[in-house]
Amino acid sequence: MKTFRLPSGAIVKKPFNKIWIVLATILVLVYIFSYFIFAKEPFFNLSVLSDIFVKMFTPRRYQNWGDYFGYMVTLREPLMETLTMAFGGTIIGSVLAIPVAVLCAKNINKIKWLRMVVRLFLNLYRTIPVMLMAIFAVYLVGIGVLPGLIAITGFSFGIMAKMLFEIIETVDMSPYEALESTGATKTQAVVKAILPQVFPVYISYLIYIFEINVRASAIFGYFGAGGLGTVIVESAGTHYERVGATVILLLGVVLVIQFISNYVRGKLQ
Amino acid sequence: MIKFQNVTKTYPNGVEALKNVNLEIKDGEFVAIIGLSGAGKSTLLRLVNKMITLTAGEIVIDDTEVSTLTGKKLRLLRRNIGMIFQSFNLVKRTSVYNNVLAGRVAYHSTFKTLFGLFPKEDKIIALEAIETLGILDKAFIRADQLSGGQQQRVALARAVAQKPKIILADEPVASLDPITTVTVMNDFKRINTQFGITVIANMHHVDLALKYATRIIGIRSGEIVYDGPSENITDDMLVKIYGRSLKSNEILGEVDEDI
Repeated sequence: MKTFRLPSGAIVKKPFNKIWIVLATILVLVYIFSYFIFAKEPFFNLSVLSDIFVKMFTPRRYQNWGDYFGYMVTLREPLMETLTMAFGGTIIGSVLAIPVAVLCAKNINKIKWLRMVVRLFLNLYRTIPVMLMAIFAVYLVGIGVLPGLIAITGFSFGIMAKMLFEIIETVDMSPYEALESTGATKTQAVVKAILPQVFPVYISYLIYIFEINVRASAIFGYFGAGGLGTVIVESAGTHYERVGATVILLLGVVLVIQFISNYVRGKLQ
Repeated sequence: MIKFQNVTKTYPNGVEALKNVNLEIKDGEFVAIIGLSGAGKSTLLRLVNKMITLTAGEIVIDDTEVSTLTGKKLRLLRRNIGMIFQSFNLVKRTSVYNNVLAGRVAYHSTFKTLFGLFPKEDKIIALEAIETLGILDKAFIRADQLSGGQQQRVALARAVAQKPKIILADEPVASLDPITTVTVMNDFKRINTQFGITVIANMHHVDLALKYATRIIGIRSGEIVYDGPSENITDDMLVKIYGRSLKSNEILGEVDEDI
């Protein structure tokens, strides 16, 4: 119960929101109830979880910390594969997204039916999960970096097209009008008057998407898309300390990218 | 030469902005269009390069009928006509040089523009235009770092870089302070006399219009009520244009030529 004292001397008591107590009680009751009815064991075995955790972040028996971290050095190639997938996919997808974003923008594309068709396509396209794209790409071109690159390109394209067209709709249209008055084509006016305005936001999105993609491409290893993900999949179950070292490496790389991205985005403002 | 023949413009909402306008503007003239807000000044200006389309009549520029032009032919016409706006219409976060160079895109294919390729001559033309406007030291500064007057000069440089025959100016000094206004108007005059470019400007300041323009066109609710040399304009004419005589405090006042 919170009490407020107003300058006028009035005292206001704000009642505690009881809904949280009710919800928490229900959750606990449901868990205990279902435990006794359905399960011989709790739903998740905490001891198994902590066991794997310890295995992941300590050296293997007969090994020392030097071996543990030394393993990371051997990961150079899969790391480069992951970064190539993420970087290449981000760039290709983001560039492909530009014309689509322009076609979606109400202030540029005045042809209503075309705009609606492109937007519908984009919305439908964006419902396809990235994982599905990865599986499909592996099915199409086989195992390796290429399917990962294709899946990341597909994902980056969708997210960039959507975010970029919303930014394009907020730009200052006056230089566009001026460019049209010089006899420029619509495309020229977009390139010279609209794109310079969205450029800093575009780059900022690009770095952000790259960040997401580095993490996502690690998971793509599950579908045979190469990179650090494949290392994790191959080591899980037998060499948990390798999984741990790979995860630490991935976290480190993502952290460095975040650091650089914050710096660059700060500079772009 | 620009020729308006029985030009009428009715907007979709029913507003009759111009009614049966007949007009002839010779090469190299400096024309000021004056009149109240909503009288049809902007409409008249924007019809010249078909930024808007007329409802009836004919506009002919050097034997070319403007109102029927579309696509490439329209773009070629617009290339020869510079346009200046009240709010400058620059890409604010890019450099003066890039803004001015953008005035050259109509001379090149879309494909080249996509990759930002400009021949060296164009770069020289752009820098020369910046020099003409006296802001060469600001060439590689972002446009939003400049004052309003300087930004309008960047816009003028962009128009000059087009190598136009005509410059249309829609309230070019309406958002500038009185002193900057004079500098920018002097630039217009210089471009008019130095390059022989026809200037047609919408103006709010009557005294500025009288001072800089060689010819005044007064518009009142879509009709031309005065058309003649600026020295012939009398108080009676201004009454006809504005509906009542202008008080002394509605005129900008004496302006110093040297600024």
